[in-house]
Amino acid sequence: MQDNARILQDQVQQAITEQKPLRIQGGNSKAFYGFAVQGEVLDTSGHHGIIEYEPTELVLRARAGTPLSEINSALKQHQQMLACEPPCFSQSATLGGAVAAGLSGPSRPYLASIQDSVLGCTILNGQAQILGFGGKVMKNVAGYDVSRLMAGSMGCLGVILDITLKVIPSTRAEKSFVFSMEPENSLAFINDLRKRGLPVSATCQLCAQLMVRFSAGNTEIAELEDRLEEHYSFIEWLESDDYLFWEQLREHQHPFFEQASTLWRLSMPADADIHGLADKPEDVLTEWGGSLHWLKTTKSADEIFNHARINNGQATLFRYPATQQPATIFQPLAPALEQWHKSLKAAFDPFGIFNPGKMYTQE
Amino acid sequence: MACAKRYSATWISVVADPVIREALLSALGEILDAQFILSTQEQLKPFECDGLSVYKALPMVAVLPGKETQVQEVIRLCHQMKVPLVTRGAGTGLSAGAKPDPEGLLLVMTRLSNILDINTATQTARLQPGVRNLAISEAVKQHGLFYAPDPSSQIACSIGGNIAENAGGVHCLKYGLTIHNVLQVSGFTMAGDPVTLGNGGLDNAGLNLLPLIIGSEGMLMVVTEITVKLLPLPRHVEVILASFDSIEKAGQAVSNIIAQGVIPGGLEMMDNNAIRAAEDYAHAGYPRDAAAILLIEIDGSSINVSEQLQSTRQVLQESGVISVKIAKTETEKALFWKGRKSAFPAVGRLSPDYYCMDGTIPRKSLAEVLGYIHALSEQYGFAVANVFHAGDGNLHPLILFDANQPGQLESVESMGAKILEKCIEVGGTITGEHGVGLEKIRQMPLQFSDDEISQFHSIKAALDPDNLLNPGKNIPLLKHCQEYRALAKNLHPNQLLIQHEPTA
Repeated sequence: MQDNARILQDQVQQAITEQKPLRIQGGNSKAFYGFAVQGEVLDTSGHHGIIEYEPTELVLRARAGTPLSEINSALKQHQQMLACEPPCFSQSATLGGAVAAGLSGPSRPYLASIQDSVLGCTILNGQAQILGFGGKVMKNVAGYDVSRLMAGSMGCLGVILDITLKVIPSTRAEKSFVFSMEPENSLAFINDLRKRGLPVSATCQLCAQLMVRFSAGNTEIAELEDRLEEHYSFIEWLESDDYLFWEQLREHQHPFFEQASTLWRLSMPADADIHGLADKPEDVLTEWGGSLHWLKTTKSADEIFNHARINNGQATLFRYPATQQPATIFQPLAPALEQWHKSLKAAFDPFGIFNPGKMYTQE
Repeated sequence: MACAKRYSATWISVVADPVIREALLSALGEILDAQFILSTQEQLKPFECDGLSVYKALPMVAVLPGKETQVQEVIRLCHQMKVPLVTRGAGTGLSAGAKPDPEGLLLVMTRLSNILDINTATQTARLQPGVRNLAISEAVKQHGLFYAPDPSSQIACSIGGNIAENAGGVHCLKYGLTIHNVLQVSGFTMAGDPVTLGNGGLDNAGLNLLPLIIGSEGMLMVVTEITVKLLPLPRHVEVILASFDSIEKAGQAVSNIIAQGVIPGGLEMMDNNAIRAAEDYAHAGYPRDAAAILLIEIDGSSINVSEQLQSTRQVLQESGVISVKIAKTETEKALFWKGRKSAFPAVGRLSPDYYCMDGTIPRKSLAEVLGYIHALSEQYGFAVANVFHAGDGNLHPLILFDANQPGQLESVESMGAKILEKCIEVGGTITGEHGVGLEKIRQMPLQFSDDEISQFHSIKAALDPDNLLNPGKNIPLLKHCQEYRALAKNLHPNQLLIQHEPTA
């Protein structure tokens, strides 16, 4: 446990005085995500520790530099978990980085997003003020919801000092199955599974195979196969393999992500088709019941952003070669939204010291 | 006693600048048919307040647009003329968030009430803001779907109003608040520029602005279209009525149920005053002598429900429950809930007025805070009925009084303020779902420091630099904050030497 709030505050104050930008860094596990930022490193990894954890209240509060592994371990001891299954990408991943990046794991559509899990936060704003928003109860509508605004803000609005999260009871059992399924049929199939009350908790489509994870109590999972057999044909998965599969998927250790030096992430309506953007079918991996696609392609950024916009989704150049200097990484914003981004940035970080240019060049 | 301007129980007639009024009416006549422009006292009276009727004012003018383009033109006009703009949905709000500005325009959104699209593949619905909350679930039920957030006013409240308040309801314990069930919100900035937050997918580009807008009480933009997430209807639902001989045991049972890993679809509590009132009104079969009852709804697959039911029964036994009834038929389930859902109007029969509080606390503090409310009830001499969302600690003490008796309103507000202060003291919040509006603006400085309130003002200035959208609501002026804190501590502002400070 270590409380570095005042040290971090002093560093921010100094940056304001000297008009020098800061690059906020936790475990540096997501340094590849977004634009590279120039600036003095503001290291939050030394600001760590679980401040408060009440399993009976389903609430955990921890400092930003606390490793995600430590949080997951503490929760596991009480048969609890983070609903959002945030990816780490490295053992050094911290809670603050996970929240700032705003990335959720395979369970996102069925359990919660990382934003959904945030109940409160303490931040250091661009005037070196330590501010607390939200709290430790889910129903909290006093003032504007700055806590959830910080999720996914990529360190552009302020330094996250600590986060209060809603946690959930762990599902007691899991089992996964493989279905032969063309991508265009998967959405209807998954909807049918859920309509029957089957406890879908993650999906993954690769070519003509759909992997589905089910999570529930012991009895329900034990009887799951019989229930599925009444309506569907499938291949049962070996238990030792299926757990590993979802972990590897979340952490991008699945073979699909090997040598994916250029990787696009498309968040789309579940019925939007993006296969026209791929050179071949095996270049698309789809999660979240059809709402999230990972894409390897030679298509231009303009074509991808345009396709996403027309279909009411959004695209991100998730990974790119270090030698490249892409012009745009995140889906371009409409004019009013772009203006709001500039204004809100100024409202939180009037001197422009936090991660300048991390998301959009004006930030 | 020095305090910010507040409104008495009678409406205030403020004569707006006649030149501005005439110019505004003339320009509105180019945008809307005359029948949808309301300007006489008689026409405006129905819109003088929302569900918190002790705060009233007539707007300078009220309009009821029927098309999105009309909304945009009205906003642009107000922006150009620097006329304050308050948006109103169904007027069911409970914090005076839709109380009109006497020198402003009231934008009534009820005519924009179409369900634009239901997409059963993506399980989403696209709605205009005037669509009633319950109408959403009614429309999608045929597809085996429902919209989860269900405030008790759902028969009347609008989805636009739900967006403004980040509305909750009985089922948000399991299914989340409005923010957890909305994908996309479109509308206009106060400059009249179109803006869309979110999209058809589950992530949005750039900053996560949906949470900023949802719950912003009409102060950051005007919403004209909402895309909500729909969920498959649960296959099985069971409803339990559990009776206790003490509030403390019932409160502890709430904590114990959730600590066991069961997340019910709903978990509500009622105390004896509320039980008797509800039973007299709805005849739901509630035990009239119970100190408290819990209504617990468990939903899911049949196996899942069976497991949870068993676990819950065991927890209730271990928590000292007196009796457990599980509804045997659909009729009985509906009857159990009828008592709870009619609790507010039932309590309303007991006295000329009631004041409904909305603080949220950690579940572990339920017994302590309910005991404190009971003590206040005796101290102030007002009966209290407690009917609330126990599963997420969202209290709704109903303080019974008579606003026609001199001094009672002020006394009740004083008692209510103490309840909210207690909520903060135990680590909760002053509002779980009703919003701050005008009603709780004096308690905001007890929950937030001056720097935090200043940050809220900066956000507001970033998105509404002219401060035209619902001005004077939600976020108190900094110059009043010291006064409010001193009042809470029965101190003169000059005696308040120590600022409320956030902790890292």
